[in-house]
Amino acid sequence: MTTSLPIQPVDTEQAEVAAVEAARATKVPGWFVILWRNRKCRIGLVMLAVFVFVALLAPVLAPYAPRDNSFTASVGPNGSNWLGTTAQGEDVLSQLVYGARTSLLVGLAAGTLSTVIGLAVGLTAGYLRGLVDEVLSFFINLALVVPVLPLMITLAAYAPVKGLWLIIFVISITGWAYGARLKRSQIITLRTRDYITAAKFAGDSTARIIVREILPNMTSLVVVGFMGACLGAIGGEAGLAFLGLGDPTTTSWGTMLNQANTGGAMLTGQWAWLIAPGVAFAGLMTALTLINFGVDALSNPHLRED
Amino acid sequence: MALLEVDDLSVTYSPRDGTPVRAVDGVSFEIADGEFVGLLGESGSGKSTLGNAILRLLDKPAAVSGGSVRFDGVAVTSASEEEIRPLRWAKISTVFQSSMNSLNPVITIGAQFADTFAAHGREGDPATLLDLVSLDADVLRRYPHELSGGMKQRVALALALALEPKFVLLDEPTTGLDVVVQHNILQRLRELQSQLGFAVLFISHDLGTVMEMADRVMVMYAGELVEDQPARAMMSAQLHPYTQGLLGSYADPRATEISVDYIPGRPPDLSRPQVGCRFAARCPVAIDDCSTQHPQLLPAGAGTARCLLVERAGLVDARRARSFVAVRAEAPAVDPVLTVTDAAKEYRGKRAVDGVSFELRPGQVTALVGQSGSGKTTIARLVTGVERPTSGSVTFTGGVDVGSLRGRKLRAYRRHTQLVFQDPFAALNPTRTPAYALSRPLQNHLGLSKAQARTRAGELLETVGLHPASQYLDKLPHQLSGGQRQRVVIARALAPEPRILVADEPISMLDVSIRAEILELLDNLVRTRQLGMLYITHDLLSARLLADEVLVLNEGQVVERGRTLQVIQNAQATYTQELLDAIPNPVTRS
Repeated sequence: MTTSLPIQPVDTEQAEVAAVEAARATKVPGWFVILWRNRKCRIGLVMLAVFVFVALLAPVLAPYAPRDNSFTASVGPNGSNWLGTTAQGEDVLSQLVYGARTSLLVGLAAGTLSTVIGLAVGLTAGYLRGLVDEVLSFFINLALVVPVLPLMITLAAYAPVKGLWLIIFVISITGWAYGARLKRSQIITLRTRDYITAAKFAGDSTARIIVREILPNMTSLVVVGFMGACLGAIGGEAGLAFLGLGDPTTTSWGTMLNQANTGGAMLTGQWAWLIAPGVAFAGLMTALTLINFGVDALSNPHLRED
Repeated sequence: MALLEVDDLSVTYSPRDGTPVRAVDGVSFEIADGEFVGLLGESGSGKSTLGNAILRLLDKPAAVSGGSVRFDGVAVTSASEEEIRPLRWAKISTVFQSSMNSLNPVITIGAQFADTFAAHGREGDPATLLDLVSLDADVLRRYPHELSGGMKQRVALALALALEPKFVLLDEPTTGLDVVVQHNILQRLRELQSQLGFAVLFISHDLGTVMEMADRVMVMYAGELVEDQPARAMMSAQLHPYTQGLLGSYADPRATEISVDYIPGRPPDLSRPQVGCRFAARCPVAIDDCSTQHPQLLPAGAGTARCLLVERAGLVDARRARSFVAVRAEAPAVDPVLTVTDAAKEYRGKRAVDGVSFELRPGQVTALVGQSGSGKTTIARLVTGVERPTSGSVTFTGGVDVGSLRGRKLRAYRRHTQLVFQDPFAALNPTRTPAYALSRPLQNHLGLSKAQARTRAGELLETVGLHPASQYLDKLPHQLSGGQRQRVVIARALAPEPRILVADEPISMLDVSIRAEILELLDNLVRTRQLGMLYITHDLLSARLLADEVLVLNEGQVVERGRTLQVIQNAQATYTQELLDAIPNPVTRS
């Protein structure tokens, strides 16, 4: 079972060396130097920083509490409610600001979780090969072919508990396979290197070889996988929330869209209520995608803008 | 007007992070129609950069920073891409070491020839071209993956000749191929060149090959030409001490007494400004002026040379400055540390190794000689316990059956059997320092603490000649030269105080000028530490220098064995003779 996605294992070793080198020269972490040099990535980093800043300082920046429904319902943008109000009379701008928290939290948590699952499964399968690989690859392939959205909907709809952490769990459990496949193919190219043989002869254990010899040579790949997982998670949360399967007690861009839809924003001409969360999504997704350009440059020196 | 005129050419690498490096510095030379010129230099000397500059293939961050290249009246360095295009392949073609990988894997060889002809609106007969490089016409119907490396490289050569170019640039065209294959391709190339009359610039690190092939040889060192002489004249009198040192690394393995030279040290760091002669630090006959005055490339002998001593005295003799003399007393009869008895290994019904028996004795070296596919590496895997023999046995001292070891016992056995790898660039983890690499076996096998391991790691680095050790402990592998890396690899192999050392082609990826130095180190370690060494190689000369006993292997079977000198002097098997003939020997050619 060696079907693989159209992904070429890249020479990630060189990238890590370049990163370590750059770090020694400048005291700033090396990966950051390379990322910052890439123009696209620089824009992405600045955009992401803005989102993080807004999310962290939401209570300070938001003009009102997100659930404060003391305003006139369903009005367009005006002087006191810059982006108008919802059908329940809440301030759209405040919801937007607080929603950044949810999206980033889901992205970070679900991204981390699916990366960890992907790492564990991919590295074990790729390093041990043989029967273990057959079995794990079966599960990877299974997870890849199962239609993710219906599965997420089913899990979210029938789960006995509700809440944000359920959403994070559902997204992670459905989104780890792609990363696992990537890491598996990379470790297969790395495990036959002479220095791995040398580590075996030096008496190192398998776990140590994977963590200390192989992993440092594929960190850029792990980062790319993490960013991809974050993107998927943020999109996944929005999708679930829009379908009404999100956590109704938290304010997220997805629930905003859901309420805008059910609250008839289209009919009352409240364009800002509809567009604002969409633009925020697009902005965050763009930021992460732009950063990924830089991470690509990190793992492939030919893409660097030197 | 010469066909190719390179005038005062400089190429500078300006990386964003580092100081600029002038890899090619003020190089001038000409190549006439039909001339076969060799360009010799060790890795990092700028020879390939020079080749790429001539082809205008330089990529960022490298750029021509001065001088010019004219080819057939066209100013290559300043012409537009549109002016260069008609020249490429039609008049100037090239074969690189990796050219065999440039064949398109999804179309047949025949289609690649058709593409080449179509791209230039020409017609030709691919079968005739393949015949030139001694390949059958039915290769045309095959795909690249159906051909061996040697065949693919021949196809690449045939493609390079397809449009009857006036000039072919060959950059290490046979490096990495089997010795015998290499020998055949180069011979064919020489015949073709005299038959078809194209000019050649042959770039290589291998002095022996260059001298056998070329009419004229240029030697490059640290970005500069240091000598330029007709091959014949260079053969009888090398002018520059560097050339003399290089030539000293060849010897006739049949000779009863044998010694080879090496040049200690490494080339200068070109990111710093250079004063004086760039070779001075490694030169055995340097005088005070050498470190302050930069010599010019001046007429000397039958050509030109860049050396103050040659300039003043006309001749220097730097030969036999540092040499490794192989002394092989009759080996004492000691108990073997490892015995291989009638071992065979089958892979999917095919015998990779068949009925091989030998012994490794402390303080002695057993060489396995053969080309790739002869089963050498499989034997190494049997000895190290990575594979279990299909039949026969591998027995370690004390009656341990190596083939049956698993898990913890195998790990314990590996303490006694360590490896030295072929490629020093792959054998060290690029993200780990020598201190880490050396501390692992020390902590795992000898149970040292972290601090003890670091101290011992330093001692080991000193043992393998990396002095002072503190300078090397915390470097990353890419900051070390190939020779230094190989020393670290050897130090790591020594760390757990093994009884057996398996060295798989440990010098074949190193520069010629330092190979003997590494051999001498291995030789010393084996004798002083009483290691039993299995030395795997395709090179009979190095086997002659290092080994007490030699086994010549062909297709999994031992075709000849015995004391090294006896085997080499009275080679019986045709295969052994072929291997002997394939050794380039510039010293004895008249």
